[in-house]
Amino acid sequence: MSILAFFSRRFVGVLAVMIGVSIITFAISHLVPADPVVAALGDHARDDQIAAFRAEYGLDKPLVDQYIIYVRGLLQGNLGISIRTRRPVIDDLRDFFPATLELSLAALLVSILFGIPAGVVSSLARNRWPDNLVRVFSLLGGSLPIFWLGLILIGIFYTQLGWLPGGGRIDQFIDPPRTITGLYVVDSLLTGNWLALQSSVLHLILPAFTLGYYSTAVISRMMRSSMLEVLNQDYMRTARAKGLRERAVVVRHGLRNALIPTMTIVGVTFGSLLSGAVLTETIFSWPGLGRYATASAINLDFPAVMGVTLLAAIVYTFANLVVDLGYHLLDPRIQNG
Amino acid sequence: MSKLRFSVWLIPAVFALVLAACAPAAAPTAVPPATSAPAPTTAVQPTAAPSGAANTLVYAADISDMISLDPAVSYEFSGDLLVHQAYETLVKFEGADLSTIKPGLASKWDIQDAGDHWELTFTLRDGAKFASGNPVTADDVVYSFQRVLSLNKSPAFLFSDIAQMKPDSIRAVDPKTVVISLPKTASPQGFLAILTFTVGSVVDSKEVKAHVTNNDFGSAWLLDHSAGSGPYVIDHWQKEVEVLLKANPNAATKPAISNVLVKHVPDANNQQSGLEKGDFDIARNLSPEQIAAIKGKPGIATATGDSLLLIYVGMNVTVKPLDNPDVREALRMAVDYNGIINSLLSGNAKKVQAIIPSGLAGFNPDTPFQQNIDAAKQLLAKAGQDKGFTLELLIPTGQAPGGAAWADIAAKLQADFAKINVTLNIKQTTQAELLGSYRAQKGQLVLILWGPDFPDPDANVGPFTDYAAKSIAYRNAWDDKTIAQKARDAALITDPAKRAAAYQDITNYVLHNGPYIILYQPVENFGLRSNVKGFVWSSIGWTDFWTISK
Repeated sequence: MSILAFFSRRFVGVLAVMIGVSIITFAISHLVPADPVVAALGDHARDDQIAAFRAEYGLDKPLVDQYIIYVRGLLQGNLGISIRTRRPVIDDLRDFFPATLELSLAALLVSILFGIPAGVVSSLARNRWPDNLVRVFSLLGGSLPIFWLGLILIGIFYTQLGWLPGGGRIDQFIDPPRTITGLYVVDSLLTGNWLALQSSVLHLILPAFTLGYYSTAVISRMMRSSMLEVLNQDYMRTARAKGLRERAVVVRHGLRNALIPTMTIVGVTFGSLLSGAVLTETIFSWPGLGRYATASAINLDFPAVMGVTLLAAIVYTFANLVVDLGYHLLDPRIQNG
Repeated sequence: MSKLRFSVWLIPAVFALVLAACAPAAAPTAVPPATSAPAPTTAVQPTAAPSGAANTLVYAADISDMISLDPAVSYEFSGDLLVHQAYETLVKFEGADLSTIKPGLASKWDIQDAGDHWELTFTLRDGAKFASGNPVTADDVVYSFQRVLSLNKSPAFLFSDIAQMKPDSIRAVDPKTVVISLPKTASPQGFLAILTFTVGSVVDSKEVKAHVTNNDFGSAWLLDHSAGSGPYVIDHWQKEVEVLLKANPNAATKPAISNVLVKHVPDANNQQSGLEKGDFDIARNLSPEQIAAIKGKPGIATATGDSLLLIYVGMNVTVKPLDNPDVREALRMAVDYNGIINSLLSGNAKKVQAIIPSGLAGFNPDTPFQQNIDAAKQLLAKAGQDKGFTLELLIPTGQAPGGAAWADIAAKLQADFAKINVTLNIKQTTQAELLGSYRAQKGQLVLILWGPDFPDPDANVGPFTDYAAKSIAYRNAWDDKTIAQKARDAALITDPAKRAAAYQDITNYVLHNGPYIILYQPVENFGLRSNVKGFVWSSIGWTDFWTISK
């Protein structure tokens, strides 16, 4: 299939997902028994204020009309006005998404850099101490609550040792870099602001490890089991019989094949990192989308919830696209489509 | 180029597109409907607090409630805290005292009974200047108040409904004199209390008019800028990150510390560790357990402050047997108030049982109720309810002010009521859902809180007694016309002593006849660095940063 046809198909797929997601989210938001206007205006609002607010947000119209108005706005790039922050949702997303994206990418980097080597080492040293160590580490990663891990890391590296900052994206007395992408590390590099670069990288370490620990554990386990499977394959024996060095056998024949199932996990993990950043963002005062999404959901701010959900759908689809292209890279026999 | 190579190049390209779409300010923004939300502003590049920690006070708090720093829009605790630093009002309360009104921008004022209306005359202080250097004039006051009415945002009802003010109610007689006319049905004392609040802030009309876009009265600009005569100016607000205040060079009051950095730190544990490390000077949201944990640590001090909240149970008098005043009195007698305050809340609350909180004029310190099971049972027997009955108690999710979970307070009430054979079925919902039922008179018992809209007893006594106001009395279906009229009359008394006496009478009546069990008034806790001096919390929900030194 040509690359153009591949992307066209994917684009249609994304549209279908978006329409589905928007209908489901819209329906669920409106099935909640509580009134978003009461949530927004609070205890003291009078009936006429509530009615005025309802009219202002079009909430007095039938549900189908509300959906049509919403989709019409969507087609013009208008995600509506947040009931809670009273700002256009698109502005809120633009403010908060880059922080979450930066944190999620850093966490993904942590989980790939640590998860894949740990899985490989573990499989090669099966049932010996390095394997046991990695398995204990994975078990902990799967069972430690994120907020607890975050607090412990802050307690050790910030409060006790003072090696790393305890929260925020950059030191309170350092100017953030000029905004280009919204990712502080990238922007500091692009603008050559080394002070900001140092501070923003230091600020990323603890939250990235906290958020990335669970996925590191998942990836290392996946990598271990797929390596073990690959290591027993006939072609591995053939490669060894040809007289290839063990390192070449493992890396070129073993790792490359074992990475394919792990790629799937990495794709799914990225999506879950984005949506799972809520607790990490709260503990580390990280001004991201996770906290915005939670606050919106609690306040029944459905334009904001819809905006976040649609953005998440796009990111998920995009992550899957990257994974599909990754398959191709690892194994040219796999056809995209 | 092979197909594969091409697709690999696409990855960073698509990625760059997504990033570009997310970059602030670059992409065009959606146009909001004309009447809603302030227009989007271009992202301002934040600058860090200048010259480090020595001349900067760092205040760590959860400020996620903040919507705008425009005094005509802000009606949230965090927004009001900051607006209070940048603007002055005609009259003010000083420090923690909310019973004596003091001069602000007005050096003197006078309330006249002009026959069919009240006439309030304010004389402006000499030499007052805005941060821009413009002098504060009567025209600025007129513009500021008319602006509140025209924008008609959250706090506007204080002017339009409570004070019944209209745009033509206010006029400048000369550059130093403002006259405001109020109808005879509005409370002049209540209006003075409203003027102490952020909605009464006087803005620099020249500066604001220079920033008007789309007839918005400069609201988009004032969202994250200031144009006042207060001790500080708002340097920047980076959402979900921080607000930086810098000393206003033209202010009459010079702050002891020239910069205040209000940091958004949503997690209380993080506030605690930042305080212990010395990165924060004041931590706003520490739990009673955290306060206990930091007490006595080197370099750390703690402080408390009052709040004006009341935590109470509303009893719907249309639900049998709550229609019987003896049953309601029995329920009040069955509650172990001391147990709730001392055990559940570790002492982080005051025992208050009347409907005006401690700190406001007219506060009634009488606390006649403490658990007395025998007396409660006798009252139930008198009402023919000694066999017991079952009621549903609606409660919100999360933590109640004072530091205990709503569910824990409800469980304590359940245990207390069980002693007089009253079974409570607890139903926990989100606050929004609970309010929906409560407002529609569909609750039986509702555990919830109330805070006054403005620092005046009428802000509590009206809602708690007047059925026609469609507030708390209405929600509990308590329609007592005599007490409602007494409350309306008390609101209009201009003599503070006579007014306090009237409120004493009303609160005493509601104590035993109203449909409320007032459980407690929470106390606020703060963690400070021990070198922080001059921190005083006002129960309105703010502190004067300019009095703090370190």
